[in-house]
Amino acid sequence: MSAVEVHQFAQCITCHAWSPDRTMIALCPNNTEVHIYKFTTDKWDRAHVLYKHDQIVSGIDWGLTSNKIVTASHDRNSYVWNQEGSEWMPTLVILRLNRAALCVQWSPKENKFAVGSGAKIVCICYYEPENNWWVSKLIRKRHDSSVTGVAWHPDNILLATTSTDGKCRVFSTFIKGVDTKDSGTSSSRDLKFGEQIVQLDLSSSWSFGVKWSPSGNILAYAGHNSTIYFVEDVCNSPFQQNVAYRNLPLRDVLFVSERMVIGAGFDCTPMVFTKDETGLWSFVKLLDGKKTAQPSLKYGSQFSEAFGKLYGQSKNDGVDPFKSRGGAHENTITCIAPLRREGDTIVRRFSTSGLDGKVLIWELDEKMEIPQ
Amino acid sequence: MAAAEENIEAMILRIEHKSKKIENLLKQSKPVEALQKALEGSPTNTRDQRCKSANWIVVHRAMMAIRDVDGMLSSLDPEYYDILMKYLYRGLATGDRPTCDQCLRIHEKLTEKAGLGCILRSLADTVNTV
Repeated sequence: MSAVEVHQFAQCITCHAWSPDRTMIALCPNNTEVHIYKFTTDKWDRAHVLYKHDQIVSGIDWGLTSNKIVTASHDRNSYVWNQEGSEWMPTLVILRLNRAALCVQWSPKENKFAVGSGAKIVCICYYEPENNWWVSKLIRKRHDSSVTGVAWHPDNILLATTSTDGKCRVFSTFIKGVDTKDSGTSSSRDLKFGEQIVQLDLSSSWSFGVKWSPSGNILAYAGHNSTIYFVEDVCNSPFQQNVAYRNLPLRDVLFVSERMVIGAGFDCTPMVFTKDETGLWSFVKLLDGKKTAQPSLKYGSQFSEAFGKLYGQSKNDGVDPFKSRGGAHENTITCIAPLRREGDTIVRRFSTSGLDGKVLIWELDEKMEIPQ
Repeated sequence: MAAAEENIEAMILRIEHKSKKIENLLKQSKPVEALQKALEGSPTNTRDQRCKSANWIVVHRAMMAIRDVDGMLSSLDPEYYDILMKYLYRGLATGDRPTCDQCLRIHEKLTEKAGLGCILRSLADTVNTV
């Protein structure tokens, strides 16, 4: 398992998203613009630059079926971008926020999107054909602090959020006229818009990067205290597991399959977590980006060993918090995105981007067993 | 409120009881067992400072008796790493020279063993304090 491609797109990347056919990537190079790169023959070319925002773009999501891009920015607005011919045409979405928008995600059916904000508010936006605009409906007074992450349940109704008050919450986002009564699971059918279904108070510090498992049965999110939380059977009788690990905290998580999760964050190296047959989640390993050349033991080994001892280098295998990190990223990873093929149940490829401005594409070995 | 008061009294009694056991263990020169005993059932989720201080005194007593830090960490149950780290920071906050020396010695080895995540967990937790 390793990083198969490394691309240096910018000095720093706040977020990125893939086009439905995975030949294009949209990313924000830590400024007001969104750059779209297209893969042509052997290299990535900048195909479009979307500029409309006034401040840093904090969230991008690219609809898989609608091919629309939604962006959220610190300027408190969102834009929905629609490709017309060779141009990307923006539609302004007034979110009605008084603080920065921090994250955005399309709902599975792509008829709604959710925006988390620094105003302790989540916006659920939907399209109103009569007026030809996107309406923003707010979930207020639930969060005690900034909303750092939003994640849609596969049923298109339930939305999970994480925030800097340390909690993870699940809401109903049922909107009359947009959602039909037969959509969603039985438990979410009779819920009003904005109704809180569950509040999980597991982390005493900031929480980040909430995600649902492919089936929607398991919720995973990361705490800023080097702990990842897995919650099963969220809506009926939540059963939670905390997994503490020895590395720095995670910023984002990704379900590769129902029983395998990748997390990435301040440690600059993705981590793998799996669930065993007994239902216990545990940390498995770090994903090393570089193909580490094993030090040749054929010659010079005695010398290098001696030198190592002399110069205190033999300590290298211990934990040195100040060592340059061996992974392929040189700074915090802030975003993980799946590279999913049509009809795939398991995500074999995914990408990470971070503060070092690199986008890495990772591929899980065919050999590696991924529990379904 | 009355129930909470009683609880605190019970907790302090428990800590006193624990303290005697620890003295015994230390006399038998079993400092690791003493430390583990001291960390067991630390009053983290109470706000009562008396309980916290009482337990800190017990932990401090056991901690200062540790000579072989590596040996201690290899026989200490890993579930106590996080709570031990919290007490190390409490020790460092006292500013007392011998205590700080001992805390730093253990801190170095514990970080090697339990990683930076352990430090993060002890610093980030503002609810379960020691």
